[in-house]
Amino acid sequence: MTLSGSLLARIAVLVVVVVFFQIGVVSEVPVFGVAVDLSPLVVAFVGLLCGSTIGAATGFAVGLLVDLALVQTLGLTSLVFTLVGFWCGRLRELRDPQAALIPLLVGAAATAVSLVGYSLMEFMLGVDAPVSLELLRQIVFGILLNTIVALPMWIFVRRCLIGGLPPDPRRRRRRAYTTGGLSPLSRP
Amino acid sequence: MYDKTVRRRRAVLALLVVLSLILLTAYFGESSEGGLHSVQRGFLTVVSPIQEGANKALKPVRDLFSWFGDTLHAKEQLAEVRKQNDKLRKEVTSERADEHGYHELLGLYHLDQLSLNSYRPVTATVVGKSPNLWYSTIWIDKGTSSGVRRNDPVVNEEGLVGKVAQAAPDGAVVDLITDSEVGVSARINGTNATGVVQPKVGEPNDLVLQYLPGGTSANRGENVVTSGTIESPDDSLYPPGIPIGQVSSEGEESGFKSVNVHPLVDLHDLNVVQVLTYTPGSKPAQLVSLQSGFPDLGQTTTTGSEGSQFTSASTSGGSG
Repeated sequence: MTLSGSLLARIAVLVVVVVFFQIGVVSEVPVFGVAVDLSPLVVAFVGLLCGSTIGAATGFAVGLLVDLALVQTLGLTSLVFTLVGFWCGRLRELRDPQAALIPLLVGAAATAVSLVGYSLMEFMLGVDAPVSLELLRQIVFGILLNTIVALPMWIFVRRCLIGGLPPDPRRRRRRAYTTGGLSPLSRP
Repeated sequence: MYDKTVRRRRAVLALLVVLSLILLTAYFGESSEGGLHSVQRGFLTVVSPIQEGANKALKPVRDLFSWFGDTLHAKEQLAEVRKQNDKLRKEVTSERADEHGYHELLGLYHLDQLSLNSYRPVTATVVGKSPNLWYSTIWIDKGTSSGVRRNDPVVNEEGLVGKVAQAAPDGAVVDLITDSEVGVSARINGTNATGVVQPKVGEPNDLVLQYLPGGTSANRGENVVTSGTIESPDDSLYPPGIPIGQVSSEGEESGFKSVNVHPLVDLHDLNVVQVLTYTPGSKPAQLVSLQSGFPDLGQTTTTGSEGSQFTSASTSGGSG
């Protein structure tokens, strides 16, 4: 998929708004001691809508912004999110899943990959952080919470980007078929 | 055409991954004064006012969500607080009798020169906190323009909160005492045995006071306070006597003794904190300048009344 100026602007605004909303509001409202993390969701859904290249680039940008804003090790979140965005984009390019539950599954998987990947990277860097059932609990609850908010987040991301996306020929064909435009019965 | 698309896709992925790895390696390898840290501080400078504004604007939303959780917690806490209140009332009665003598002793040995009166507390509002387990940090709305410097101690009305990790002109990042990067020299109130308070591995909300001399007595409920000593030249020089937590249980003893400590400060519910800054020429400023000149020999340095009495680990009870 080619990146038009309109799509680039929409993604940039979406990324900045989501990251600041995450840091300023969502992080401050823990549920069962864990806060929802919208960042992997937005990366996954941009990948799912725009493809692997744009997904990976968005993942890198979101990760960099998160690391800068949270004063964390630079590059760590970027690396994890780049892979998440790329993987979600490839899923679209190879399978183009249309089921209604796909955003839930992709959101859960993206969260799981980012949380586990981030933890593994921290361990590999030798960061002396508490390792325990608490970490496992945070990961499990994080995935559950993100799965719950995945659907509304998918609708939000889709609505934000839909105007900048090129028309999908397959979707147009399906719509035309169901409305009779391409039905064999309507042919002369 | 297909090959070109595939090649471009792979090239973009490889480029981004390599870029991330370069950033990671450079950031991890450089000191806190390095270029990437400076970029982060610059970003913090830009973001702090926005975060502060967003924090104020969205406070009602957060409060609404917090209200549900707080209501559930309040009932559980009530019984515990009543019990503590009874205990504290008894303690206050007996401690008031000791207070007079204590101040006399302080004056006699000039030990109060490092008390909080020597500092210039800067009150700051908490505008954000780290959302994950890996970093126990908060963001405050006061920075270098208010006199806040790196390593300044941060307290609230309940006790020690942490120390300033990074400072920008209008904001700062504070490492909480439960952060793995923070170690606080401390002692059990009423004893001379010093140790180091660090986060408890496996329980990120609890602390452990380590490296106490073997045989040190520690009873449940005893207060743990800062000792006013440092472990390395890069440490924060916390003033002595700031409450950190209460002994919850005794830990392992193999050569050194350790005790488990529950923090007094509710680190999940911080709204306002005070940064203990100092003015140039004051006693804390002199001590900090003296501290920065020490070689990092892994020894404990104890600041006394004039900031000139230093003892090694062996003489200070093996706190290093």
